[in-house]
Amino acid sequence: MDKKIRIEDILDDCLERMLNGESIEDCLQYYPWQATKLEPLLRTSSELIQKSAAIQPDPDFKARVHSQLQGKLYAKRVKAEKKASVPVWRGRWAMAMTSVFVVLLAGVATVAASANALPDESLYGMKLATENAMVTLASSGENEAELHIQFAERRTVEIAEMARQGKSDRIPELTEQFTTHLNEVNQVEPRPGSGAKMPQLLAPDVALNRDGAVDDSTSKGGEQEEKLKIMLDNSRARSLSTLSVVLAEAPSEAKASLKQAISDVTQDYDETLADMENAAISATRKKPELSVEQSSKDVKRELRKKAYNLESASTLEVQNKAETSLK
Amino acid sequence: MAAFVIAINLFPPFSFSYIIDIKYMSIEEKDLVSRAVKGDGKAFAQLYEEHFDKIYRYLYFRLGNKEEAEDLTQEVFVKALEAIGSYKWRDLPFAAWLMRIARNRMIDYWRKEGKVEKLAWDDNIAHVEGPNPALIAEQRLEIKDLVGKIKKLSKGQREVISLRFGGEFSVAEVAKVLNKSTGTVKALQHSGIIALRKMLLTDK
Repeated sequence: MDKKIRIEDILDDCLERMLNGESIEDCLQYYPWQATKLEPLLRTSSELIQKSAAIQPDPDFKARVHSQLQGKLYAKRVKAEKKASVPVWRGRWAMAMTSVFVVLLAGVATVAASANALPDESLYGMKLATENAMVTLASSGENEAELHIQFAERRTVEIAEMARQGKSDRIPELTEQFTTHLNEVNQVEPRPGSGAKMPQLLAPDVALNRDGAVDDSTSKGGEQEEKLKIMLDNSRARSLSTLSVVLAEAPSEAKASLKQAISDVTQDYDETLADMENAAISATRKKPELSVEQSSKDVKRELRKKAYNLESASTLEVQNKAETSLK
Repeated sequence: MAAFVIAINLFPPFSFSYIIDIKYMSIEEKDLVSRAVKGDGKAFAQLYEEHFDKIYRYLYFRLGNKEEAEDLTQEVFVKALEAIGSYKWRDLPFAAWLMRIARNRMIDYWRKEGKVEKLAWDDNIAHVEGPNPALIAEQRLEIKDLVGKIKKLSKGQREVISLRFGGEFSVAEVAKVLNKSTGTVKALQHSGIIALRKMLLTDK
């Protein structure tokens, strides 16, 4: 036997053996001439191996991260699919026409029945198709924004129902759909001839048209924006109340996903509300020569700051509610 | 033949079982990683299951605080998901790539928070599972004590011990992560275990 092997190499060899299930005594048999030096080091190593193995991440935390990653994976997939798809206007109309065709084929009764369908039911696809058609055929930007708020709230009801049934694997996907709807609220495009404006540029008194000049047709904008804000605020209250009630009743395996969903939903609502407020403030402060693109960038920057501040307070509020109902 | 068997036992890196094991692991992981790189969510989820506990344990060894270890573990996997598309196998094995993200996040965290690596222990102890509450409490104290001792090692020893026992990395993988030779890693492992042994004896 080669007695010139360095002790560092012998120790490492023994460690590998121990990690693969061999005992200290087995290891010492391979290197009897080093047994006296080796044994105490192997005892310490064995202690390290055992205690390290006892350290485990909290299962709730692990499930929460898993759920968050699932949501991100879904968003990534959707983004990749969107990128690969046809131009937006063509896609929207093709989808709307298909949906209308499907609606005509299926009949009004089926469409009505699908309104309450849940994600794991056969009519759920019909429900989403109908929603798409409604959004595409909306008469104005304001109407489209209202529909997005309404459908976002539907997703939270579905999240609650899935959690109640213990089907937590559905929650991240629904949360992402919810986020997509809320993101659209401040991004709806003006409809040609409808006279409606993009909500993100609506201001109580003044707004700018695409050339940077003051647009006097926005006096109604303030009212429309206020209406949307109230609608969004009410939707937030209803959704969070539904979700926190279910958090108390949901089976334990669904709780982690539901908690993550509540946190995401709260953040999205708050960001969208802050978005509206900041867009209005920013638009009133803008100088006419400033481009629309520049103003949007400033609004977004401000918005992110505000949303970030809002996040911690609101999440805490919902979690407190949830904990109270748990008690 | 007998000499050959002895040689295999003495030099495990050249033993058949070792080679087969490493090859098998590599092929399986290579397949998973290449699927995850192409956007396969299930493959990524499997890699997550495989590496999550190890990354958490390594960060826990280095930070000594449950909440900080949780925050950074979460960030590591979010970052890995974002960057997986640009991962290239030839540069670094996947586990080492993930561990480099963890180390960089930890260094960033210390820099941003204006913190230095804490040598003192705080009471935010790791989660331990088991049916007996008394045993759990005892284990938690033992872990607290052990991580406290690891923190007293030299920087190099601490890094190697955390990667080897927390991250369950082989010496070759530790060498890849730290950009050191396997000889240096083995020497740091040896001196680290001796130092820990002395500290444990002082307590008794």
